[in-house]
Amino acid sequence: MADLYLPATTDTPEIDFKFSSNTLHIAGEAYPENGVEFFLPILRQLQSHLKSISGDPIEFHFKLTYFNSVSTKILYSMFELLNEYAKAHPNSVLLHWYHDEEDDTILGFGLDIQEDFTWIDFNAIATA
Amino acid sequence: MLIDVFTIFREEADASGIVFYYSGILSQNVIKAMGDSLKQKLQQQDEKGVKSRKVFSTFIEMIQNAMHYSPGSHDSDEPKEGSIIVGKKDDKYFIICANLIEKQYETRIREKLDPLLTMSADEIRQAYRAQLKNDQHGNDTISKGAGLGFLTLARDSAEPIEYALRDVIGNENDLSCFYLKATI
Repeated sequence: MADLYLPATTDTPEIDFKFSSNTLHIAGEAYPENGVEFFLPILRQLQSHLKSISGDPIEFHFKLTYFNSVSTKILYSMFELLNEYAKAHPNSVLLHWYHDEEDDTILGFGLDIQEDFTWIDFNAIATA
Repeated sequence: MLIDVFTIFREEADASGIVFYYSGILSQNVIKAMGDSLKQKLQQQDEKGVKSRKVFSTFIEMIQNAMHYSPGSHDSDEPKEGSIIVGKKDDKYFIICANLIEKQYETRIREKLDPLLTMSADEIRQAYRAQLKNDQHGNDTISKGAGLGFLTLARDSAEPIEYALRDVIGNENDLSCFYLKATI
């Protein structure tokens, strides 16, 4: 599958999904007018990529600094997809979770993800 | 408005700790511009880190809620309107948003908000977690969000959120004005 790159805008994050090397980055802020419209095509591409590989290790770098409630729900679904892949192929998904050391909201969401999706290996990285 | 009246309006706002005020048409472009402006204002006030982010998050949740649910949304040609104010009193920020809603949604709003007013922080957190996991939300035909908006506001508010539904003079049977307040 072709790599997916979307530059950041004021209300949408940078999406840098290098499917060719299974390195996925998301960074910036997410509060688009219609979160489902923005994220659904991205999730669909991720889903079909996951179906096309079997056990290849994936590294996910999560560097969002703000996401609204609609985006939160969709991001949760994205990690659900990755968790299903990791369940079928143990130890294949490593999630790097970048969070400002003072920001309990971002870290809190990361801990929720870690608790609910136990097949994903979770690496919290505090940034100053 | 006369210059004198506007002077009083501005001076009253400054004296009341108002950081930001807007009343008018809501669109995503307006919201993005307001968000940038608010961020700069908070930086000017040397408000960094957690507090600034929670004010910004609360602002975005409220104003997008107003944009999605004000009555114009049933007729896409009709612009949506709302008002929002951000102020600071005794080291705490308050954010109050006001928008019109159709009267028929009053009950729904009360049912969603009333439980949140008396929940402890821990209960709100649990309700938030439950809603995050809930994938039945797609069956809710009225909600345009994730069902997490009010819970996010309640979670981030330092004091219980407050709301009011007031009659709209001249439109008592069809419309209400919905006010929502959070404290950071």
